[in-house]
Amino acid sequence: MSKRKAEDHVAYSEAAIRNNLSIVEYCRTSVSAISGCTAGILGLTGLYGALFFVFAVTSFWFMLLFNAGIDSWKKYFISRKSLLLNGVFGHFFTYILCWTFIYGMVHVY
Amino acid sequence: MSTDLIVDPQIRSWVFLPIVVITFLVGILRHYASILLSSQKKVELQQLADSQLIIRARVLRENCSYIPKNSFLMRKQAFNKEDGYLLQKRPPVTQNMMTDPSMMTDMLKGNITNVLPMIVIGGWINWMFSGFITTKVPFPLTLRFKSMLQRGIELSHLDASWVSSASWYFLNVFGLRSIYALVLGENNAADQSRQMQEQMQMTGAASGMPADPKIPFKAEWEALEIVEHHFKLPDVEKEILDG
Amino acid sequence: MAKFVYKVVLTIAFLSLLHSAISAAQHRSYIRLNELEFTHLPLDVFIQTLLSLFTIMYAVLHLAGDFKEIKASAELENKSWETFRNIPSFYVFSHRGGKCSPSKASLEESE
Repeated sequence: MSKRKAEDHVAYSEAAIRNNLSIVEYCRTSVSAISGCTAGILGLTGLYGALFFVFAVTSFWFMLLFNAGIDSWKKYFISRKSLLLNGVFGHFFTYILCWTFIYGMVHVY
Repeated sequence: MSTDLIVDPQIRSWVFLPIVVITFLVGILRHYASILLSSQKKVELQQLADSQLIIRARVLRENCSYIPKNSFLMRKQAFNKEDGYLLQKRPPVTQNMMTDPSMMTDMLKGNITNVLPMIVIGGWINWMFSGFITTKVPFPLTLRFKSMLQRGIELSHLDASWVSSASWYFLNVFGLRSIYALVLGENNAADQSRQMQEQMQMTGAASGMPADPKIPFKAEWEALEIVEHHFKLPDVEKEILDG
Repeated sequence: MAKFVYKVVLTIAFLSLLHSAISAAQHRSYIRLNELEFTHLPLDVFIQTLLSLFTIMYAVLHLAGDFKEIKASAELENKSWETFRNIPSFYVFSHRGGKCSPSKASLEESE
């Protein structure tokens, strides 16, 4: 099973793509949960919390690219942008839940 | 944040945290219960043979131009003659009675694992932990969210960002989904990819065959009847030898 | 082996995060008792929290698994000739060849 890309005629293995994306998805979910906990501990409120989410996700993105290799990320992913933006709202929801939870635990009482 | 409400820390340890823990554990329990209850779908041998028969007929129909006319007609005969594969007489389907109850139990199991705990636990939590202010969302919200987040307490002067215990339960039910994916995720992902592989192995509609094969057989029979045979490779030997 | 190291790192980072959460909660209760206004966390708790966050990110990234190369050719390199020739769409079951198989014939007789 491989699909052809029109521009550069490279055959990609779909199983490998799916494997990589599921790994990234796993990481991103845990990162959004953990960064939510961090934001809760730090006691961020309002817009600062949203900015912190953007900050955490972006820095994780850089970490990911750095880990895959700055030039060689093309070996593992088709596009960098989708790594940053895929399913960002679902992750934001996870983030908000963890944020609210830890904020309640630490700062409300 | 100027009007700061002081909430009793006891609520944290006896209402706020238990709700999260209970919702989470119920989710985990439900996952394993559904694994336990899920029955491996039994494939009837006859059904599998029927679906493979259909696949064979389709392959013949689609690729018939690569075999000589004689061979094609022979194969077609095997499928389409009076008592050929596609017109064979079957005893009227008695499986229906067999499959229906199993479908029923499947649906029942799905309900038991999904809907029932939600109702029971939700009702229990509503009853057990009703009327507490549990937490505050760390961002300002408009008044429209009040009815959503403050179910169970009707205080018109309370700031909209406070959350009642019942609403906190519902937030958890919907929000913990991704956490489950995180905790149970590798299992689930593995299952999915395995299913994918199985599908790749079988390629074609080998599964999902209806219990009554008459209708797809009839359709396939018709398609095979009207197919026109043009042999694409009449002088292939010559072309290869020349080329 | 490396996985084990990362697991230890992850655990330590989680504990550190938990510790900073407890510190923050204590700071909060201290402020409430002294009736001060909460402005920001103490700097050491702040730094500890952020550091644990990044450590967890790093460890999770390494624990989640290795990436595979997405080029189809990379996958094909590891395949043996036998698996390469295995083409599932060419499978045909219950074809006429079954009539020649003795076990199948006996099966049909017994039915």
